[in-house]
Amino acid sequence: MKRYQKYFTKKIIWFIVTLIVALILNFILPRLMPADPVAAITGKLVSGSTDATASARIYEKYQEEFGTNKPMIEQFFIYIGNLLKGDMGTSFGQYPRKVNDIVGSAIWWTIGLQLPAIIVGWLIGNVLGALAAYIRKGFDKVLMPLSLFFSSVPAFGMAVVLLVLFAVNLKIAPVSGGYGFDMIPNFSWAFVWSVITHYQLPFWSIVLISIGGQAIGMRSMSIYELNADYVKYARFLGIKDRKIVGYVFRNAMLPQVTGLALSIGTMIGGALVAEIIFSYPGLGSVMYSAITAADYPLISATTLIITIMVLIVTFVLDIIYAFIDPRVKAAQFD
Amino acid sequence: MSKTILEVKDLTTKYITRFGEDVYAVDHVSLKIEEGKSLGIAGESGCGKSTLALSLMGYYFAPLHYTSGEIIIDGKNISGLDPDAVRKDILGTEVAYIPQAAMNALNPTRKIYKFIEDVVLAHQPKRNKKEIYEMAKSRFAELGLPVSALDKHAVELSGGMKQRVVIAISTILSPKVLIADEPSSALDVTSQKMVIKMLRDMMDRGFIKAMIFITHELPLLYNVTDDIMVMYAGQIVEQGSAKEMVFDPIHPYSRGLMQSILVPEEGTRDNKLAAIPGTPPNLKNPPKGCRFAARCKYAVPQCHFNAIPMIEAGDGRRFRCGHSIQNLREVYENDK
Repeated sequence: MKRYQKYFTKKIIWFIVTLIVALILNFILPRLMPADPVAAITGKLVSGSTDATASARIYEKYQEEFGTNKPMIEQFFIYIGNLLKGDMGTSFGQYPRKVNDIVGSAIWWTIGLQLPAIIVGWLIGNVLGALAAYIRKGFDKVLMPLSLFFSSVPAFGMAVVLLVLFAVNLKIAPVSGGYGFDMIPNFSWAFVWSVITHYQLPFWSIVLISIGGQAIGMRSMSIYELNADYVKYARFLGIKDRKIVGYVFRNAMLPQVTGLALSIGTMIGGALVAEIIFSYPGLGSVMYSAITAADYPLISATTLIITIMVLIVTFVLDIIYAFIDPRVKAAQFD
Repeated sequence: MSKTILEVKDLTTKYITRFGEDVYAVDHVSLKIEEGKSLGIAGESGCGKSTLALSLMGYYFAPLHYTSGEIIIDGKNISGLDPDAVRKDILGTEVAYIPQAAMNALNPTRKIYKFIEDVVLAHQPKRNKKEIYEMAKSRFAELGLPVSALDKHAVELSGGMKQRVVIAISTILSPKVLIADEPSSALDVTSQKMVIKMLRDMMDRGFIKAMIFITHELPLLYNVTDDIMVMYAGQIVEQGSAKEMVFDPIHPYSRGLMQSILVPEEGTRDNKLAAIPGTPPNLKNPPKGCRFAARCKYAVPQCHFNAIPMIEAGDGRRFRCGHSIQNLREVYENDK
């Protein structure tokens, strides 16, 4: 038990170190962009006015409010201080909305779109790959080229193809958005139905691509495991094929779990393309507009969320692996 | 007259390659083992000894296919049975197998007792799990294996321990015949000794009734088995008691095989080591006559054309050579 504790203490220390480095980078990198977002807000506010001193005073007032006139290092500690209080600041691009508010409403759209899509794609892909390895013959010959095709289509390509095919030509799905543009979010049947129809295209564009990649990976892992010595031995002991297939898929699954966890961790980055193309109101779209507007607080917030998600997922993965693979456990505690 | 446990009559099995060619790796092999006896099978790599081991279980899957012949275990003919019946009622209970690569023979993500459970339930679906665990525990204790190994995964066991655990698992249902395919070739000498001791112990305790031990290490066979059989290119070339085979081989190939190794026994000190030149024939297209003729220094022209039958020399001694025993003994004498 002591070794167990030691291992996880070490892990947690690394977790914290990585988090601190990520916080610093998340803060500095957006601010190195060659843009002055405060000037942009001021410009918007004073457009039409010719009073230079007034706009200069407005500019200074905003600088004061955002703290951009202070030295970078001081800004950083203010940022950290606010972060500890749970406040990620005020958005430049969507002033005067709070970052917390923007992220809070967008994140559920992303999770709602991505999490089911990743899991469904992963499940279907793995089942198909495993079947291809076990059945071989015709099934494999059809599935493999298809999987290769789908996995090598770039995400934006797949999204655009679906968009043109189903929304523009066949007109059976809406073109963009998370719900009808003429609606206000509520729990009426009409709104829920609108959300469901808007959901389909972005969802399937993600699912189709991940099926391909997962099927290829699972197929080759399963073929490898099916030829392992323990399979042959189990067969000669008279164990039923169905049971042996169970062994094989459990073992072939292990590397696939890493793939699943990482795609959940990088969900927001992965959502970017589908969300932008379908103008889906998720975090990917938020991140994209934040970058184009040099909206430092919002960029820092989205990248911070990505960092924390990846860290949590890898940490959880380490714990899970110790339970699902005795070989990893043995290596961890050596 | 002791009881015959395993009898094999003219067993022939073949591999079908990806290109549809037939390779007869076991060609009309007949053998007999009596209760309490062990048979060693020796030969160079690729001679068909491992294929024979697999063929003896009556359970075939691609690329290995059954062609003809009979396998009779304790009076029960198992050739021609439905594969699922063989799986359920023969494998593990009548005939069990210890694989060549015991290092990787265990599922890395299953605990040993769970795997034993799977093995037992495959043959006796109604057994209760607790009872199986108790049975495994007492069997491990009887064989001198640590009972704690049951609750471990394969990675947590040392190489020698893994091999012994595999042997214990293979024999958990007390099969009549145990086929051990090079069970000790990957082990150091100490572990080897423990494995051999364990196999003998199982014979003595009656967990198994007969054993086939396959290896390329002849000195080991001399110490382990009662009889030795030498295979060459899918055929038996000679069989006899362990002592006869080591000190008085008849067939030129067995003789070459014995001369190519050091036997740390009395009376073998002056023997010179010799290699057999050449390589075995390709079994896709075996020679018409004696399969060893191309490498045999005593071959005469007829050897290349006439198929050579097995000659019984009495007392279970048999060999496959165109020359007579007297003839061969004379040539060997002149060679010295």
